[in-house]
Amino acid sequence: MEVVDAIKDTENQVATREDIMKRIILLGIALFMFIGIGSSAVYSQNVTLPASVTNEGKPIKGGILKVGIVKDEPFQGVFLAELYENRYDAAIMSYASNAIFEMDGNFQITDEGIASLDVNQKENKVTITIREGVRWSDGEPLKIEDLILPYEIIAHPDYTGVRYDTEFKNIIGVEEYHEGKADKISGIRKIDGRTLEIRFKKLSPAIFSGGDGLWTYAAPSHQLKGIPVKNLIESDAVRKNPVTLGPFKFHKIVPGESVQFVKNPYYWKGEPKLDGVYVEVVPSSSVSVAIGSGKYDIVTGFAATKWPEIQKYDNIDILGRPELYYSYLGFKLGKWDPEKREVVTDLNATPVGNQALRQAMGYALDVEAVCEVLFFNFRQRANSLIPPAFKGYHDASLKGYTYNPEKAKRILDRAGYIDIDGDGFREDPEGNKLEIKFATMAGDPIQDEIAAYYLQNWRDVGLNVTLTTGRPIEVNAFYDKVEADDPEIHVFMAAWGTGTNPSPSGLYGKSDAFNFSRYTSEFLEETIRKIDSPEAFDPSYRAEQFRIWQQYMAEKAPVIPLQFSYEIVPVNKRVKYYSIDYGNPVELHEIELLAKESIKSK
Amino acid sequence: MWKTIVRRLLLMIPQLIALSILVFVMAKMMPGDPFTGMITPDTDPARIEELKEELGLNDPLPVQYVRWVKNALQGDFGKSYTFQRDVASLIGERAMNTFWLSFVSVILLYLIAIPLGILAGRYQQSRLDKFIVFYSFITYAIPTFVLSLLFLYIFGYKLQWFPTGGSVDVEAEPWTLRYIWSRFYHILLPAITYAILGTTGVIQYLRSEIIDAKTMDYVRTARSKGVPMRKIYTKHIFRNSFIPIAAFLGFTITGLLGGSIFIETIFGYPGMGQLFVYSIAARDYSVICALVMLYGFLTLLGSLLSDIILSIVDPRIRIE
Repeated sequence: MEVVDAIKDTENQVATREDIMKRIILLGIALFMFIGIGSSAVYSQNVTLPASVTNEGKPIKGGILKVGIVKDEPFQGVFLAELYENRYDAAIMSYASNAIFEMDGNFQITDEGIASLDVNQKENKVTITIREGVRWSDGEPLKIEDLILPYEIIAHPDYTGVRYDTEFKNIIGVEEYHEGKADKISGIRKIDGRTLEIRFKKLSPAIFSGGDGLWTYAAPSHQLKGIPVKNLIESDAVRKNPVTLGPFKFHKIVPGESVQFVKNPYYWKGEPKLDGVYVEVVPSSSVSVAIGSGKYDIVTGFAATKWPEIQKYDNIDILGRPELYYSYLGFKLGKWDPEKREVVTDLNATPVGNQALRQAMGYALDVEAVCEVLFFNFRQRANSLIPPAFKGYHDASLKGYTYNPEKAKRILDRAGYIDIDGDGFREDPEGNKLEIKFATMAGDPIQDEIAAYYLQNWRDVGLNVTLTTGRPIEVNAFYDKVEADDPEIHVFMAAWGTGTNPSPSGLYGKSDAFNFSRYTSEFLEETIRKIDSPEAFDPSYRAEQFRIWQQYMAEKAPVIPLQFSYEIVPVNKRVKYYSIDYGNPVELHEIELLAKESIKSK
Repeated sequence: MWKTIVRRLLLMIPQLIALSILVFVMAKMMPGDPFTGMITPDTDPARIEELKEELGLNDPLPVQYVRWVKNALQGDFGKSYTFQRDVASLIGERAMNTFWLSFVSVILLYLIAIPLGILAGRYQQSRLDKFIVFYSFITYAIPTFVLSLLFLYIFGYKLQWFPTGGSVDVEAEPWTLRYIWSRFYHILLPAITYAILGTTGVIQYLRSEIIDAKTMDYVRTARSKGVPMRKIYTKHIFRNSFIPIAAFLGFTITGLLGGSIFIETIFGYPGMGQLFVYSIAARDYSVICALVMLYGFLTLLGSLLSDIILSIVDPRIRIE
């Protein structure tokens, strides 16, 4: 199911270096295209893009769906769920997906997929049952061994990817297998031809969204079994002719450029209506023109900031959905102790240790204007650290830090931040000069504009905020500095893609290296623990703990959420029905086309 | 001359060693590593630490350098972390793409530039000359990406004469006639763009050389002897005017593998320029180092080739 693919693995990359490189190189280009086409800037008043579209007409028989993936470099082409590291590979693979579970709108595993999941919370184990009669794209039946193989690949000593992590070691016997002490993973047991049992050290509610170490894909053991794990990533079975479970199967691949899929006659939900899918990498500089000329039926990875370039085309509908993403303002409130591997908060060692000051800095930012002017409202001011796509956990009642400079000034006055020497900038409550260092990433011209505007916003309320190093910092250096708790950084601007499990553990816990604000407290630790505790298997309990956590973070303001974002997907009018709704995505095998050729814009 | 060539080749060794140290140290000095920016809330910092250890990124620089040189001398340039592939085969694939694109470009470039340069020089001050000079100023002034996008927009999307991206049609079976044609067809538009952008230098050189040559003593002598103008041009002037062009030929040949980041990016053509920039951004050390070494070697080779060619076309020059 594409939700599992597209969300869990593809969307959780934060502004990657590729994106940023792309932006550097194409800044001028985009500008030129923008003028060249003669579009004019138009603002979408409010984001009301539909998540699905139906076009009327009589469908043709078969046909090839043409998909453009916006990317300025060739794709990597590692087409195995266990091995790929790049989200574009995942996006391509989604047409032939090996995912065994389907997920609902809240990213919880359902019984609709190839396999169903039965969680035994008491005994810390799960039972996975696969449907009868599911076949691989080469006609081989799906076996339980195909579900076990991924675990053996990832836990193999020769495996060199990021997936062999603490979470994965939650499966009993994985570590022994990795160290070569066991020739099987003891916690994974085949019950019968359709049932698999997996035992874990502990279970949390994350298991229902494919967390805790559970793997949600199958791998074709009849094809891969003979290939040593060390050679797998360069093997033809991964690069040239992968065997898959999804509605389409790989037919031809031009490395780095394009993939031709044909329909998989063995697809378990029924034979696809299309003859195939053609996926091609398209440079961001020409994607808008390509969309207008009807070169693609679907375009994924289209930057919402380029919306004005395509919004006048009459040959497409533009679909939208919230992304599992938030950008934030982080305050450095402590240090990382590498010896103990834990966060040490010290509010007195930093100029932004004062909670009132942090809150005022939040109210002072005109994020709303940035969303409207630079992002055409495809971004919205974020009120919480849980993106609204998580309907069950997002606290919509939370007000968050809306733009209110007067309130910011009042808070600062009350907290004793007053301009004593009359230079226009406030001094701290002790009367010392206050200079706050703000770190921001270079590379994206829009980010530069935003940073400049925020500095202005803070100046307006009397805060002397300057850029760390005097200019935006190259992205690698930025993360180096943030991770190393560079004393020149008091505030920084970054973003997270959350993946399908919004749990704050990993990002805000005491022992989390990615807790970049280095803020922790007993209450915070307790709340995070509760969110993933056994009691939290009760969804209402978990939702309540999420609410408490969101409110606590909003009040203490160690990080202030800035923006939620929208993903937009242009769909050509010859596609009969298409949907990107998380809860109800289009069934790929049911896609139909209404015309032989894609429709051009007039 | 042979002695000189061998000496120059031997001299390359210390030059390349110096380059390798420089490149290696500078690559490692860049902030970040292949994992920076790849982190997500699901990434486990402990696992990243483990992988860094396995890749040897935590070893002291000299240790890493020696290991790298040892492997490189055995033809093993390591594995690209981002592409998860052998660096040599990755570069090989891209180098072929870039080579064919550059090769067609250079041929087109000379096909366009040489006649234009000759005509402009011969018929100096004529309307044709003025037009050619105007043309070369325009192509000189126009940024690469502007012309590329313009051509892509007009010839690719509006007129649909050329494919708009990629290097080959996915349906074409490798090394059939259709495949070769498809490759050529995909190369054509970027190659024309590339060629047009590069013509200025050649046109201007040729033109001014010809104009200079016209006032030379040997031309006057030839004319006073009654040699027909046509013959003076073909036998005397053109031959001399080509010397500076020939001087560049060595660099042009080795430059075939350089690639152009703009053209490759806009036309979605997977070549070396793109690979280079991308691997720097991704801190893909093994690719960066291998590429810089390759470029360094090609530059040295190019200058040697240029000298050799020069000595052949210009009898006054002898390498000793």
